[in-house]
Amino acid sequence: MANGFSGPVAQIVDNYLERLRKGLKGIPAKDQDELVKEINSHIYESFRNDPAGDEVSRILRVLDKLGEPADVISARMPEAMVTLGKKKKLPFLILAGVLIAFFGVPLGLGGLSAAVGLILGVLALVLAFYIVAFSLILTGWLAAVIMIVRIFSPGFLDPWISIYPLVADPTFNAVLYIAGSLLIAAFGFGLLWLGSRMMRGVRFVFRFLFAKVKNWRKRAPAPTVAEP
Amino acid sequence: MYYIVFGYDMENKTTQLRKGILELAILGCLSRGRHYGYSLVKTIAGDSDIDLTEGTIYPILGRLAKEGLVRSEWVESSQGPPRKYYTLTPKGEEAYRVLDGEFRKLAAIVANSQRGPAVEDRNGDLNVLDVAKETENG
Repeated sequence: MANGFSGPVAQIVDNYLERLRKGLKGIPAKDQDELVKEINSHIYESFRNDPAGDEVSRILRVLDKLGEPADVISARMPEAMVTLGKKKKLPFLILAGVLIAFFGVPLGLGGLSAAVGLILGVLALVLAFYIVAFSLILTGWLAAVIMIVRIFSPGFLDPWISIYPLVADPTFNAVLYIAGSLLIAAFGFGLLWLGSRMMRGVRFVFRFLFAKVKNWRKRAPAPTVAEP
Repeated sequence: MYYIVFGYDMENKTTQLRKGILELAILGCLSRGRHYGYSLVKTIAGDSDIDLTEGTIYPILGRLAKEGLVRSEWVESSQGPPRKYYTLTPKGEEAYRVLDGEFRKLAAIVANSQRGPAVEDRNGDLNVLDVAKETENG
């Protein structure tokens, strides 16, 4: 990208403009180009007006005065995204705008889909976990009941199930199977218990992340207040 | 500095106050002639020691443009990349006139409020420290 600079200074400016552009994802490409061009011009003028010192320290001072890319776009983004969402009637885009407004994070649609994907992924994992736990309990209990019935009426469900004789005595064999079934059911209950622990863990992780995001958001805008 | 002392609430209050005033300052600047972003910052900040994050004017300019109060055009510069110049629209002139009048009234209110408390209170023996002591003593 030609930005009017050369050498390491050009790289620093490129890096800044690239970060700016990333923050602008989701608004029309034309508007992105326009703002990036405008900020590039600002950097150029500011650099030209501040001739003291070597080039690198000058450009760093210029960018410091300009502020973070988030300062340049933050107030504009949510609004732009919400209007974009209305136009296309995509609640997703509105949601993105609201999220950005709430967290002050220019996530962009990529970041948002990643966040939604992550949440869905965790939910699916939790759901799958509970399904496994419940199937284990159900299987264990059903098998145990069937084996108990088979002790008293040996031919029960015979064409459909065949029991491998672990020991010669059929009653003892049935008892062994019942014990095994109950073990499976117990394993299911164990998973349930673990699940409640896991939910606590998941809640903790989410709360932890939420607090992190909140703190980060608080710290994000540089304190622009002059010393009294 | 005092954002550390008073916490984030103070910072937020300052930001809120700044946003509105900055918008008015931008309109005022443009009412005296066209500007590009950087010249706007320089003109507004002037020699004051106000610590302006320069980038914050761009969201404001974007909003003003969207509201139809300013319009912009790209002009080639004799040096370096082209500059985006902003000018007030007639609607912007009107908005500036109204807002400026409102601001003067508000500034007068603030000035009034700073004339200080009534004399008897100022010399009175009930100040914050005394209240604190009284609370301690129950």
